[in-house]
Amino acid sequence: MTATAKPERRTRPRIGSHVFLMLLLVAFLAPVAWALVSAFKPAGDIVSSPLTFDPSEFTLDNYRAMFQDVPIGQGFFNTAVVLVFKGAITMFFAPLAAYAFAKYRFAGQNLVFGAVLITLMLPTIVLIIPLLLEMKALGWVNTYQALILPGAVDAFAIFWMRQVISAVPDELLDAARVDGCGEFGIFWRVIVPVIRPGLAGLGVLTIMNIYNDFVWPVVVASDERMATLQVVLSTLAQNITGNRIGADYATVTGELLAASSVALIPLLVLFISLQRHFINGILAGSVKG
Amino acid sequence: MQRHLLRRRALLASAGLAAAAPALAACGPDITSGDDSGESNILKAPDKREGEITIWDRSGDLFEVFEGVIADFNAVYPDIKVNHVAVDIDAKLQNTLITGADVPDGVFLDDAKIGGYTDYLWDLSEVLAPYAGDIAQQKIDVNTVDGAIYGVPYDLNPGLLFYNATALEAAGVDAAAIETYDDLLEAARQYKAAVPDAGPIHLEQSAFLGQLQLEMYANQLGTSIADADGQLRLDSPEYLRILEFLDTVRTEGLGTRAEYLTPTDVAEMDNGNQVFYPWAIWFSFAPQQMLTETSGDWRAMPLPAWDADGARSGAMGGSSFVLPKDGANADLAWLFYEFLMFDEVGYTAVWGPNDTYPTGLNTSIPAYEPAADPAAPLFEPVEALGGQDLWAVATEAGAQIPGGTPTPSWWDGAVDYLGNDIQRMLDGDMTPEEVIDSSTEQIQTNLVDRQ
Amino acid sequence: MTAVTAARSAGTNRKRRAGASGVRRRLAPYVFVLPFVAIFLAFSVYPLFYTARLSFTNWRGTGAAEWVGWENYTYLLTSPAFWSSLGNSATLWLLIIPAQLVLGVLVAVLLNSATLKLRGLYRVGFIVPFVTPLVAVAQIWVVLFDRDYGAVNALLGLVGLPDVGWLTTSAWAKPTLALLFLWKTTGFIVIILLSGLQSINGSIYEAAAIDGASKPRQLWSITVPLLRRTIMFAVVLQTLAVFQMFAEPFVVTQGGPYNSTTTAGYYLYNHITRADLGTGAANSFLLVILVMVLSLMFVRMLRAKD
Repeated sequence: MTATAKPERRTRPRIGSHVFLMLLLVAFLAPVAWALVSAFKPAGDIVSSPLTFDPSEFTLDNYRAMFQDVPIGQGFFNTAVVLVFKGAITMFFAPLAAYAFAKYRFAGQNLVFGAVLITLMLPTIVLIIPLLLEMKALGWVNTYQALILPGAVDAFAIFWMRQVISAVPDELLDAARVDGCGEFGIFWRVIVPVIRPGLAGLGVLTIMNIYNDFVWPVVVASDERMATLQVVLSTLAQNITGNRIGADYATVTGELLAASSVALIPLLVLFISLQRHFINGILAGSVKG
Repeated sequence: MQRHLLRRRALLASAGLAAAAPALAACGPDITSGDDSGESNILKAPDKREGEITIWDRSGDLFEVFEGVIADFNAVYPDIKVNHVAVDIDAKLQNTLITGADVPDGVFLDDAKIGGYTDYLWDLSEVLAPYAGDIAQQKIDVNTVDGAIYGVPYDLNPGLLFYNATALEAAGVDAAAIETYDDLLEAARQYKAAVPDAGPIHLEQSAFLGQLQLEMYANQLGTSIADADGQLRLDSPEYLRILEFLDTVRTEGLGTRAEYLTPTDVAEMDNGNQVFYPWAIWFSFAPQQMLTETSGDWRAMPLPAWDADGARSGAMGGSSFVLPKDGANADLAWLFYEFLMFDEVGYTAVWGPNDTYPTGLNTSIPAYEPAADPAAPLFEPVEALGGQDLWAVATEAGAQIPGGTPTPSWWDGAVDYLGNDIQRMLDGDMTPEEVIDSSTEQIQTNLVDRQ
Repeated sequence: MTAVTAARSAGTNRKRRAGASGVRRRLAPYVFVLPFVAIFLAFSVYPLFYTARLSFTNWRGTGAAEWVGWENYTYLLTSPAFWSSLGNSATLWLLIIPAQLVLGVLVAVLLNSATLKLRGLYRVGFIVPFVTPLVAVAQIWVVLFDRDYGAVNALLGLVGLPDVGWLTTSAWAKPTLALLFLWKTTGFIVIILLSGLQSINGSIYEAAAIDGASKPRQLWSITVPLLRRTIMFAVVLQTLAVFQMFAEPFVVTQGGPYNSTTTAGYYLYNHITRADLGTGAANSFLLVILVMVLSLMFVRMLRAKD
């Protein structure tokens, strides 16, 4: 693995690239920065003068009101539980199944993969009522399994991992077989290390999807004790998006921005720490041609 | 190349699967089952007074207000445990009712949405009988479908004319003289003559709220979008008259077009351009929380009448409490709402000074008439309205609100047609007649006929 | 190029030859897919069939469901609102996909450079919008794009441009929504493209550099062709996302003004919230067919160029 890929060899300063990337970065970060900063403004000012920030008016009232009004701690706990179990199931079983789709031929392969494609194309919103009826029949409404199992090995993960694993040269697998590797051993010792960048990508996406999913949790977790972080957020936001009548618009906006900031920070920390993992993955995963 | 062939085969296989699905599906709703109309839907008052109830409310200020009443309720009913939860009702209620899973015992719901859920709700006509005669007729009417009452009426939202008294006075316009919409137009013209930049009357730019406001005007004239049988009655002289009024405001340049309480709307009020706001009582929130320059300058009066002796108010919005049949203890939930709405301790705790609103909840008034006594205010005079006794204005206006009809279940859907067409008219792209013709046809085809 | 293609087809041949050996090898795939298939059958295939059946009924969530045959489908196919929802999604597709691909490839290529400084900062920075909860994004958008008080118009004003009714005019609402989608998802597309770039062997570039090919030329004639599978993958993925898009218009514009942002997904959602479950189900299958046709088209394009 010493012949690490170096797509760009020349090291002359690339001012143009940096200007381009920096401008883009500002455009990408400014809205979020606005939200993070505005959460520290008096609620009324957020709506009436969104672009100013007067440091002397700095306030924690939005955070205070938010922590008092909504069970955000419980939301974090529930999201963490779902993240650990659902994430683990996805990250293990999706690449495993995708490996079978990419590197083996078996009966029913096309049928199952066709079904995967259909579910990928089907707007998930339409499945909610049938799924909910199913949850009720199983007695799973307001349980962790209802939050974890549906969508745990989602069609997209299969589709993507199949794509990634297809690109792994068969020679590698054959060589491993010659070395006496079992079928699972090939997956675990050859495929997984080689596709690590793809897995890191899937990890990012899986965490993201689970963390930010709200449509399904909102309907299946009607009990406050089961509410995930996004359910807490959407309950707050409904006062703004759904029906403004009589709602204390400014206060809710302030609380929502505070809650969103609190929700965003763990993800940011996670990604900054995953960043190293990305780079390691790139180095370890480069395949000799 | 083989891989692409495989993908293509998979796609074709999936196409075949889609075609075969209806034949394969041995699941799905039971197509032959009849409905269980044999059972009685009429809720009876409970014999025992113990158990646990789950109550859904929207999060926010009202949640806090209701939360504060639970202790008072438990002082009377110590053995009923209230599990009070803030939920995203719009997102959750329909799915919960359809699947019947973990259904709450009581839910706070917009009056406009009740019509869509009646199949799942208890008929409350028996338990409400002792109070029905004392509840605002409009609230009873919107909750009544085929003779059954599906909601415990919560608030009455009388339409009022909010006006900037200071600005009008400075321009020499006598607001007290406004008794009809013609007077309002005249006052607006006078104000505009004094303040050329002004667009004195608010014209709502949100399709949803514009349609809600239209229904306020219609209620004032004793009509509504659909009659008690659900037949569309938009094509009427009353609706034409309202739309022509709005169109006049537009063509004469007498309006400020903005969405309710967005920054533009607030600024146009604060700079004195927008001085008339015909809206439900919940607009009172604006001078109290949103307006900075003109807070304290605003006052409220009953709406102008369409004809000299016509009603001076109509309802705009409003909510009730519904009790789902699948709730385990809906009868106990009734006791909670009975206490909240019809017991003096209950309604005083809601509208009177409380922890959330130190001077009382002044964005609506009770639907229960004994609670809405003009002489016995529950909330205090409003500082931001120059210390005006909003309670007296609102309760007197509320008493004039004509009866109503149940809101059809497709009301929200009509915003795509009627709500949008009103906006097109305010853009100058449609005449009032065209709005009525186009909306009537579209609503009939896409909503009424598909029920 | 030729060498790469040759190596690939040699691999395929070897796989075919080796395919007959060993019972364990033949059983392995069944074991590997079993957990997935179990979850998939229970929580995807079953509701899928249920929905398929619903699409032929007029069930409204309660009482008896009546079999109505193709009625829901014919209603939709003859409804101008259905077609205009597809038109809105198609317009959004055109506004989003080409811009996103150009931006995504550029950023991914620059970020793939091992010598780029601040690489970590950029990578994290570009993903920030993608990880921000949508409900917060919606609020941000509404405030930033306000006609009179928004930051965007304030900036336009600085350079002397007139105010734009971003969210209040039907002409601008779609571009504004497209911008939101671009802003929110481009980071994700960059990740996907990066994962594709990492499998490109660096020695190809070395050879090209020796041959004197300029950087833009390398990008166009080496990177893009080698990245084609990944790019197509991103296109298919984003096509699905654009045609199913519902949360964005739901939280920002509620489909307005004048239904100009009523996307295919939002239109479908409207049936469901109005308890018209049969029509909603039929609508979703029509969308599946449409997206399937589009995907087949893209796959065909990819194959034609191989």
